Order: sequence, then structure tokens, then C-alpha cells
Amino acid sequence: MNKPSLVKLSGFCFICLAVVFILRSSFAQGTGATEISQLFYQGNSDYKEAKFDSAIDNYTKIFNLGLENGNLYYNLGNSYFKKGDLGRAVLNYERALILIPNDSDLKSNHEYVLSLLNLGPQSFENLLQKAANKLFGELSINFLTVFLSFIYILAFLVLIGGLLFAGAKRGIKFFLLVLMVVFTISAISLNSKITYLNKGAVVISKEADVKFEPLEAATTYFKLTEGSKVEVLDKTENWYKIKRPDGKIGWIKRGELGLILDLAR
Amino acid sequence: MVMKIIRIVKIFIILTLLLSTHVLAKEINFEATVDRNKVGLGQSLQLNLTFEGSQNMPILELSTIEGFQVRYLGPSTRMSIINGQTSSSVTYVYTLLPTKVGAFRIGPFRFEHNGNTYNSNTINIEVLESIGQTDNQATQEGSLQTKDLNERIFLTLQLNKNKVYLNELIPVTIKLFVNKLGVRDIQFPQFNHDGFSVGEYGAPRQYQEVVGGINYEIIEFATTIFGIKPGEFNLGPATIQCNLIVRKQTNRQSSSAFGDFFNSDVFDNFFSGYQAYPMNLKSADIPITVLPLPAANKPESFSGALGVFDFQASVSPWEVKVGDPVTLKAAVTGQGNFNTVNLPEVNLGDDFKVYEPQIKQDKDAKTFDEVLIPLKASVKEIPKMSFSFFNTLNGQFETITKGPFPIKIIKSEKEEELKITEGKQPAHQLIKEEKLGRDIIYIKANLGELGRKGEYLYKNKIFLGFQVIPLLFYLLMVVMHARNRKLKTDLRYARQLLAPRKAKAGILRARGLLEKGNSVEFYDTLFDVLQEYLGNKFHLPSKGITISIIDEQLKNKNIPEEILVKLRGIFSECDMVRYAASQLVKENMQNSLKGLEEAIDYLQRNRV
Repeated sequence: MNKPSLVKLSGFCFICLAVVFILRSSFAQGTGATEISQLFYQGNSDYKEAKFDSAIDNYTKIFNLGLENGNLYYNLGNSYFKKGDLGRAVLNYERALILIPNDSDLKSNHEYVLSLLNLGPQSFENLLQKAANKLFGELSINFLTVFLSFIYILAFLVLIGGLLFAGAKRGIKFFLLVLMVVFTISAISLNSKITYLNKGAVVISKEADVKFEPLEAATTYFKLTEGSKVEVLDKTENWYKIKRPDGKIGWIKRGELGLILDLAR
Repeated sequence: MVMKIIRIVKIFIILTLLLSTHVLAKEINFEATVDRNKVGLGQSLQLNLTFEGSQNMPILELSTIEGFQVRYLGPSTRMSIINGQTSSSVTYVYTLLPTKVGAFRIGPFRFEHNGNTYNSNTINIEVLESIGQTDNQATQEGSLQTKDLNERIFLTLQLNKNKVYLNELIPVTIKLFVNKLGVRDIQFPQFNHDGFSVGEYGAPRQYQEVVGGINYEIIEFATTIFGIKPGEFNLGPATIQCNLIVRKQTNRQSSSAFGDFFNSDVFDNFFSGYQAYPMNLKSADIPITVLPLPAANKPESFSGALGVFDFQASVSPWEVKVGDPVTLKAAVTGQGNFNTVNLPEVNLGDDFKVYEPQIKQDKDAKTFDEVLIPLKASVKEIPKMSFSFFNTLNGQFETITKGPFPIKIIKSEKEEELKITEGKQPAHQLIKEEKLGRDIIYIKANLGELGRKGEYLYKNKIFLGFQVIPLLFYLLMVVMHARNRKLKTDLRYARQLLAPRKAKAGILRARGLLEKGNSVEFYDTLFDVLQEYLGNKFHLPSKGITISIIDEQLKNKNIPEEILVKLRGIFSECDMVRYAASQLVKENMQNSLKGLEEAIDYLQRNRV
């Protein structure tokens, strides 16, 4: 295979990726776009007039249309904060952090609410994940997915280069090794983010009893205060089985917990 | 033979053992013994429960024995063989610590094991106030002997009042009373303090006190508490852990002339062992009521101070230039919770620049040194200061007001100099940490791009499907690279690969000549195609291919005779035309071409 055809094929891969993005982002431009914008600006206007319940209502209507983004969760978090519902404020900031982890306003507000709730850093990551997130923690899940895909394609291009340019084998091996390390670290970071997205939850009631069994009469194992982060391991009709960052496991009533990824909302 | 003897011996040993255990099981004797029957309060004695005849008896769990505290020490086993008679026993050893004076009968201990019931003998024990003490000694120093261990060592929890106000600091005293007992390893006491915040213990105090005619060594622990919520609470019970040093007296009998000497306390103490007996002492608990502060008559300047306080304030120097510092000194003295005492606020307006006060807190005083810099020459005084507190003695709010403090500000004649001086000040101000407010950052004004809820790229099937493309592309490249490489390095492979393609082109050329009716050139081409194809196919020099070589190459390849005949026919026809230019019929030419096509097709299909 000659070089122009190689360029054509790699170009095709990038075009395909671009198509995916365009497909993904274009639907919001549809018929409901004006209505969604109106709801958002109405929410902002309510917030300015200190009508926080109404602001929450308007923002929530957009979520009910099956849409989301980081700014929306941020504004909703602020509204709950102003209303005095710090647990739900933390929950919405956590949701926003999944989508816009690099937003400085968001990080500041999140940190401030946690300080008001006297909650220190709560992390479910192991040492390896912590190290990986130091490097890639400020990238969103989608960005990290594209980044991984890019590294993956690049690795194959380098391998093909190795076939075509037999003389540059040593340099190619080193480059492949670097790509493999970057790929592994970013994959660890992505995995920890996806795990938290799917399992993460925040306590939204002022104080929640975590019990040994999913029964009203069961003994309370420990208590959690609002804003505490937990990992959901299992669920029944009315209870969630949760794990605290220190590894303690118990059952909590469904109403006392808000899931990070709650598609039923 | 030897094996047989060994087997018999083995069976004999097993039978003997079985028999012996069976016999022993039936002869188990259960006996209780003590190392002595008379013991003084504060001394321990040893109880041995012995099972003669077996070592396989489980430990006997002794419940409380009236008048004694029981502690299990461990087992002791014994086995002896006398004249072939084996006897074994196990003894479970307990320490008994008498708790009161009197005559006690302990036992019989009842024990059930494997359906058998064992009853021990009973033992009489006399607990005396003190062993070896005469009546005179017993009443020496005017002290009365107690008859209960609980009267010789106990713990008390004391409060000076049972009704306190919220945040009111009250002392708590925990006293350990010990009368003529050795106590060591005393831990700091602990007590239940729900609803209260507890301070740290100071160094424990040790002294002697006569209570009810008994002289006690007292170890006193003092701390302070304050109520953090109003309501009815129970403080305590306080608990303390310590080790009681108990004398293990050996039952020696002396009838020698040295008897008196060896019976003396000194010798007794020397030979007597001492044993640490862990004790957990508990005091009574105390009901306590925490009252909320009355809402009525609360002064504006009240900031939570509780206790009985005095307040003093002064200003120095009273005559300064504009820009020079004045120190306002305030001191709160008295008894109470100083943690809730703050510097009273003074309304200084814009007339002064105020620095953070320096605060010093002692046990019974809290002082504040606040530096003020008058900014205007018109300032005549520092306004009055009011310190309010809740007097816990009379249950009323009280306010002490000091000032106003007259001061004289001299206007600086060199206004510019003053400004320069002030200009230099920022270096000092920079060091001072700026206090910034904190709140959340305002909402986002723009909505930004929306996405479908829960839809992430890592779950997108199209995106994931595209990830296969680079892999497939790479595999394709690997295959093509390998083929190219083989074409370059393997000539036989290359010729074989090219043979049908070249033959196809030659056949096309021959067909053109056939249509033109150019028979000589047609057969030349046909011959060349056949030679080249067979040469490439079997990796032979093309020009040297003859019918005999073909026969030789193809004879072992199971080629049908029909094909071979065709090939031979084409060869001979070509030779005939080339060397004897006979007139040829077009039909023959067509047959030759068809024959060649069929032969090549066969060889290709069957991968010959």
C-alpha cells in the first residue's frame, strides 16, 4: 500500500469520529431549542429575584426533557444552596463535575459547600487511580474517551509506520511504549470516572441512618450527614446498599440518597 | 513374621489405652481445695478444682461466689506411673479475693460432663479483717477496720451543684478512696457526659482524709464541664481501672525456735508473693439539670459570657498625635467559662483605625490589648465599653460599663510628614492577613451545549464500532506487507502468482490474431503463452519447455490424460505450423486456443 492511500484511510477514521460528534451535538438544535433556552433564562431570572424554588422548577423542566449539561447542574446546585438544601447542592455540583470538571467557579462552590458541611475530601479511588486522576482528573469522560481513541489510532499508525519504515524500528518501539503508558494511565482515570458516574451517590437528607439490613427495625450501623459521598453497591425496592469511603457497608433508605447518574429523574 | 509381631503389639497398645481410659473415666474424682482457710481482707487465696483420673475435663465456668471475686488463672496437669499404675489429673486454679469479712462456705461445686455428674466437697473459709493483727493493732491510730472491700476501695463523682446554666463551667471531682490496700496502674477515670463538653484533667492530687473515722488515701482527679444543650441529664457513673496488689500468703507452719522471727511481718512480706488483681471501680451517677438562659432582660452587649466576673478597662497614653497608637486594655476577671468571654464592642466609627486585639487567657482572667490609631484631631474620647454576662450565682444578667475615656489628640504640624509616615505603613499592613468574605460564585449566564442525559461517548455503539477500523486497517497492512515481501524474495512464488495473469493477456492477444486470420503469428503467440505459463507455473526456464519436459513434470501430478493430450496437441500443432507452414483451418485454431484455455483453467483450479 502506498503512502497516499494510508493518509486517505487515516483521514477517513478522523472524519468518522467527527461525524459521531456532529450527530451527537446536533439534536439540541431541533425544534425544542427555543423552549429550552426560555426555561433556562427564566430560571436565571427567578434566581436573580431570589425565587429559588421557581428557578429549581425551571431548571428541572430541562432535565425532564432528557437533556443535561454542566452549566445547568451548576445553576441548579447554586439554587439549592441559596434555598438552604446543601445536600442537593453538593449532589448537583458533583453531577456538574462529571461534565465540566475543569470549571473553576464550580470547583470553588463545591469546595465551599463541603466546608460548610464540615466534610473533608471523600474519595473512593485507590492509589493508582489517585495518581492517574492527578494527570487526567480535569478532563471530562467524553474528552478522555476521545483522547484514548486518539492514542489507540495513533498506536496503529505507528505500527503501520514500523511496517513501512523498517529502519526506524528502535524509535518506533520507544514511541509505542510511551503511547502504551499514556493509554494505560488515561484508561485508569477514565475507568475511575465511569465507576463513580455509575455508582456514586450523595446523601441529601440532613442525617441518614445506615442500617445493617434493609429493614426499618434493623440496627443502625452508622449515620451519614448531608453531602456525604457514597458508592451504591446494590438496591431493593426501597433501599440502597452503600459503601462509605472507609469501606463500611450498610443499607440506606432510597429517599435519603441522590444518585449521580439518575436517569429516572 | 516381624510385621505380624509389630501388628499384634500395636493392637495390644491400642486396646490397653482404650481400656485404661475407659477405666479411668469411671474413676474420676472431683475435689475442691484452697491453699488456706483463713484470709485477711485485701489478701487473696487460691482455689483448686482437681479432677483425679482424667485430663480431658473442660474448664469449669465459676459463677460468682458469695463474698469473693473470682478470677481464673489456668490449668495444671499431672501424670504419674507408680508400679505400672497410671494416674492423671487436671487442676483448674482460681484466685479468690474476699470482698467482706465473715465465715463463708464455698461449694459444693457441681459439674456435669458426658452425662456424668460430679460433686465436689465444700470448703469453709474465714475472712478476717486482717490476718496476724491483734486487737490492739486493729484499733491503732484510731482507725476503724472495715468489713467490706467496697468500703476499703471506692470511687466517688462530685459536683458542686445539680442545676447549671447552658455553657456554665462547673468543676467535676472524681476521688479514688483507698484504705490500707496496695493499688497501682491507676488509669485516668472516664465518665458518661452526654450533653456536656468536658475539659482535660489536671495533674491528679494525692492526700489523706479521715472519712467516718477511717483514714483514706485519696487520689483526686479534677476537670470541668459545661452543658451544651438544655435538659435533664445523668452525669456518670465514673469508672476507673487499676490493679489491686494482693498478697499471696504461703501457709507456712513454724515450730522451730526461729518461729517468731520467721512469722514476723518482714520475713512474711519477703516470702509472700504479690499479685496484681485488676479492678474496675464504678461510682454512682449524678442527675443534673441544664437550664437555658432566660430570654428576658438580656442586654444588647451580652455575647455569651457566663460566670461571676469583674470588668476593667483603661486607655494609655491619653495624649497622642494624630496617627500615633493608643492602647485600649480590657480585663475580665472572675470565675466562669472564659471561652465565651469576648472583648466588648466599642463604636469607634471612622475616627480610629483598629487592629485585631491581642488576647491572653488564664485560669481566672482574660485580657485584651487593642491598638487604636486616631485618624482625626477632633477626637475627644474613646466611647464607653459595656461588658455583659450572665451571673450564674443569682441567675441574672449583669452589665459593667467603663468609660468613656477622654483622650487628647494633638494635630500634627507637619501634615505631609504624617502622610509619608502613613505611606510607609503599608509594609506593616501587608503582613497582616486580609480577611476575605466567602460565598458561592454566581450562576452561569449561558446555557451552553446540551447533551442527552446519561449519553456518553464510551457507550455510543457507532463510536465503539469505529474503533475496529484501525485494527482491520492494520491487519490488512500486515497481510499486504507480507505478500509484497514474499513477491520480492520468493521468485517461484512470484512466477506462480503471475503465470495466470500473463497467460490471460497472451490468450487475449492470440484471440485478436485468430480474428485477423494470421495463423503463423497466432501459433507463435500460442506457443509462447504455453511456454511462459508452464515455465512460470513449474519454475522452469520458459524457452526450454518442450513436450517431453511437460510430460516429465506433470506425470506425477494426477492430471487427467485428456488435459495432457490437449497440451501435447497444442505443442505439436504449433511445431507443425512453425516448421511446415501448412494451410490451417480457422476451426483448428479455435480448437487449439480453447484447448489451451481449458488446460490453463484446469491447472489453475486444481492448483497443480
